[in-house]
Amino acid sequence: MTTSPTTSAGPSPLPTCALPDSPLAKAAAGLDACVHCGFCLPACPTYVNLQDENDSPRGRLLLMRRLLDGELDVRDPDVGTHMDRCLGCRACETACPSGVPYGQLLEATRATTRVARPVPLVARVVLGVFQREMLLSLVLVGARVLRATRLPDWLARVLPARLAFPFAMLASTTPARLPQASAHDRVLHRVRVRASQARRTVVRLDGCVMRGLFAHTNAATTRVLSATAHTVRSAPGQGCCGALHAHAGDLDAARDMARRNIAAFERVPDALIAVNSAGCGAMLKEYGHLLHDDPAWHARAEAVASRVRDVSELLADRLLPAAREASPAAPTARDSAHGAASSPPVRIAYDPPCHLMHAQRITREPQAVLSAIPGVELVPLVDADQCCGSAGIYNLVEPDTSDAVLAPKLRHVADARVEWLVSGNPGCLMQLGAGLMRSGSSTRAVHPIDLLDHALQAAPAERVGEPDLA
Amino acid sequence: MITAGLADALRSIVGPRWVKQRPAELTAYDSDALPGYRATPSFVVLPASRDEVIAVVRLLAQHGVPFVPRGAGTGLSGGALANDAVIIGLNRLTRIHAIDAGNRIAHVEPGVVNAVLQREVAPFGLQYAPDPSSQSACTIGGNVAENAGGPHCLKYGVTLNHVAAVTVCLPNGELVQFGDPASERDGYDLCGLFIGSEGCFGIATDVWVRLLPVAPAVRTLLADFPSLTDAARAVSAIIATGIVPAALEMMDQATIRAVEASIYAAGYPTDVAAVLLAEVDGLEAGLDADARTIERCCREAGARDVRIARTDGDRARLWQGRKKAFGALGRIAPHLVVQDAVVPRTRLPDVLETIAAIGARHGVAVCNVFHAGDGNIHPNISYDASDHAQAERVHAAMSEIMQACIDAGGTITGEHGVGLDKLGYMDALFTEPSLAAMCAVREVFDPDRRANPGKVVPVHACREWGGRR
Ligand SMILES: Cc1cc2nc3c(=O)[nH]c(=O)nc-3n(C[C@H](O)[C@H](O)[C@H](O)COP(=O)(O)OP(=O)(O)OC[C@H]3O[C@@H](n4cnc5c(N)ncnc54)[C@H](O)[C@@H]3O)c2cc1C
Ligand code: SF4
Ligand code: SF4
Repeated sequence: MTTSPTTSAGPSPLPTCALPDSPLAKAAAGLDACVHCGFCLPACPTYVNLQDENDSPRGRLLLMRRLLDGELDVRDPDVGTHMDRCLGCRACETACPSGVPYGQLLEATRATTRVARPVPLVARVVLGVFQREMLLSLVLVGARVLRATRLPDWLARVLPARLAFPFAMLASTTPARLPQASAHDRVLHRVRVRASQARRTVVRLDGCVMRGLFAHTNAATTRVLSATAHTVRSAPGQGCCGALHAHAGDLDAARDMARRNIAAFERVPDALIAVNSAGCGAMLKEYGHLLHDDPAWHARAEAVASRVRDVSELLADRLLPAAREASPAAPTARDSAHGAASSPPVRIAYDPPCHLMHAQRITREPQAVLSAIPGVELVPLVDADQCCGSAGIYNLVEPDTSDAVLAPKLRHVADARVEWLVSGNPGCLMQLGAGLMRSGSSTRAVHPIDLLDHALQAAPAERVGEPDLA
Repeated sequence: MITAGLADALRSIVGPRWVKQRPAELTAYDSDALPGYRATPSFVVLPASRDEVIAVVRLLAQHGVPFVPRGAGTGLSGGALANDAVIIGLNRLTRIHAIDAGNRIAHVEPGVVNAVLQREVAPFGLQYAPDPSSQSACTIGGNVAENAGGPHCLKYGVTLNHVAAVTVCLPNGELVQFGDPASERDGYDLCGLFIGSEGCFGIATDVWVRLLPVAPAVRTLLADFPSLTDAARAVSAIIATGIVPAALEMMDQATIRAVEASIYAAGYPTDVAAVLLAEVDGLEAGLDADARTIERCCREAGARDVRIARTDGDRARLWQGRKKAFGALGRIAPHLVVQDAVVPRTRLPDVLETIAAIGARHGVAVCNVFHAGDGNIHPNISYDASDHAQAERVHAAMSEIMQACIDAGGTITGEHGVGLDKLGYMDALFTEPSLAAMCAVREVFDPDRRANPGKVVPVHACREWGGRR
């Protein structure tokens, strides 16, 4: 009654493909790499928090396999449930010894099942808006106006949880008020920039949410890059990167958006593309894969993708670690003579965005950037490599799981007792910011570039080494 | 019997969300880490506490329904596969009840992941010695059921040596405790009997594990060899000096290359036939001398180079590479057979040569990655099962390899257990009276043969024995 047709134990026969020509069939070689070892289970936030192997990477890969073999139907609601619950955080990829390209397989699966199982209404609306430049701009302007009224701050507190969260997310994007350093600290603690580096030309990805709600971070990015021997140029005509659409399985929309961005960035041919949003950076770097089957665009996509850098990658070799005071509690004789003691370092923790750590595999560079910021102490965060539950629009379509994944994160942040929680991705900043706000925490979420920019604003950088070459 | 009412009754015990019944929901549970095998369970039940486990087992006993315990499903012998039986998943029982640093004992639930336990006891300067390569994912319950070992069991022993007591929910739902967390008890060592019982004697619901102080000093060496035989000779030479290394692990070229292509690349040289990873630990005094002795043994056996890990990071990387090696083999070809045999250490060089010859004769590529120090070898073959001729050659080669191990005085499982996969070898390895004795022991715990049925001891052996009663 409950058993499927193949109950006999023993080496199973190899069935033929039930979904020929589907995106999943094209990606099937990636499935073969899975040896079922289970090493990805403890890395997966949905498995760890939901405790069901159906919500584990290995379980989802098995579902994909059965879809291909025709044992399960693309309309099967259980398949849909467990695929939908996947955050797409790709922590399973950095745990997998066999190199299973999980992210690509997930997108291919969603693109395959999408035909039979439409995405939920909320997702359709959001994706539709992000696809239309004019409409998106309008919505973002509206959001900014709403944010300026401070109404969202109030609604985030008074509304029931589910309704309050989006308002808390919006409220949390308000530019952070960073601490004012004393005159004494400003002199002692200056950002140290390597003077010997050759000047590089870069063009900034403006993004959609970044441009709309994190304009301050975009501006800070330009200032920070300029201060570290970068010439920042603009690339008009660029728009949303298409990541949300690709993750939801709407590959055609994502491809349209990719082509548009590729054309825009081709107009600034020799510049590296600086990205301050981890999710967009991961998408841009995968444009080659996205347009693999488009002969007219594939090579162009690869060329643009190869120029993409996370902003931390651009900064890591330009910055020197900040001087750390040996003991802030024991001011030197000179300090006391001047009547100024340096303030204790500000405690910060770093929560790496999944699309930086797991998708782009960048871990060292953000640490280098943070260690260059004077006057802060980087406190270790338990399970920092686990997703915060933001995952694009996931927190809007899968609020229950998103909450379940966010809860342990908030506990670990509370245990770290930090003033600032640093993360380089707008989705994570909003998810963490809203979660912190709703839990009454005094910790605030901030982009690392905002912190670095703040230090540079307080006092001009100290140039170390030979003068600029250019 | 499985009735519609049974599912409802199970739901009322654990809550509707924790009973899986529909085909798609059973998919994740239809296999474990043993490649190529699958079996669909009737239900999957995921209890959250010992009380729920007991209630579920009692209910199944009333209905005469067989069950299979499951931890993290990293087993490599198909032990957690359920054919028309109910899977009871223990992965939600993840509490660490107590860590008693003074008495060096921890009381944990069976679903606690091995690496999590290691992480939690580390601040006390303690460790749980058994460190299976799968430790980042596998559970203590699964370790107990399989008597898991690991690279460091060469010096420290296997799970059996580190468990003080277990509480077991017997297949009839009765709760018993074997062993004593506080002291050695007289009488039969039933705790020892339970460890390695592969889920056939009941479900471990509580485990008291012994902890050891972390060794104050350690040296990790990596030696590379122009041939597998030379590496095997080095192993015998090291052991013959009387040094007891904490670990002595070997990987051949195909394995090294797979690891180096993976995210766990450890910096092993890819142009050598084999590497030997050796570790000595203990008090600082004398360690350098031991390390030098090991280096000399390696060089005399023909090692091209021997290097010592300089930093903790270096050492961790060398071990990560080794521990993730099996998983990395997935890169070579779509399908994989994994084996687990033990041969007398002195026979290692000729067994390895025989294995290579068998592989060559059948035209299949055998990769070796194994616990060399105790002769526990894992010959693995990567292949493409859609090529039927190749698949047949692979299986023929594997049978010959296993026979060669048995002929060399070895046995068919070192640490992965018999489960389903090795059932066929039991007749070759044990006499009829031995198998009958195993059945008799099993019946003491599980007279109805409902706990992990069809595993470990061939059914016919039990039937014959039962018939003679
Ligand atoms: C890459 C890789 C490397 C490995 N390396 C090693 C190694 O170095 N050493 C080693 O020994 N093994 C190794 N293994 C095998 C495997 O990880 C171990 O056998 C492990 O102990 C299984 O634990 P699990 O929680 O995954 O159990 P499962 O696979 O879920 O179950 C294994 C068996 O235990 C039973 N069981 C599970 N929980 C309980 C319980 N609470 N009570 C009673 N029975 C239970 C099941 O019924 C089944 O028979 C490796 C596996 C992989 C995939
Ligand atoms: S870690 Fe990789 S190979 Fe292992 S089960 Fe997960 S996806 Fe498969
Ligand atoms: S992408 Fe993240 S949530 Fe999805 S299976 Fe992988 S680890 Fe789990």
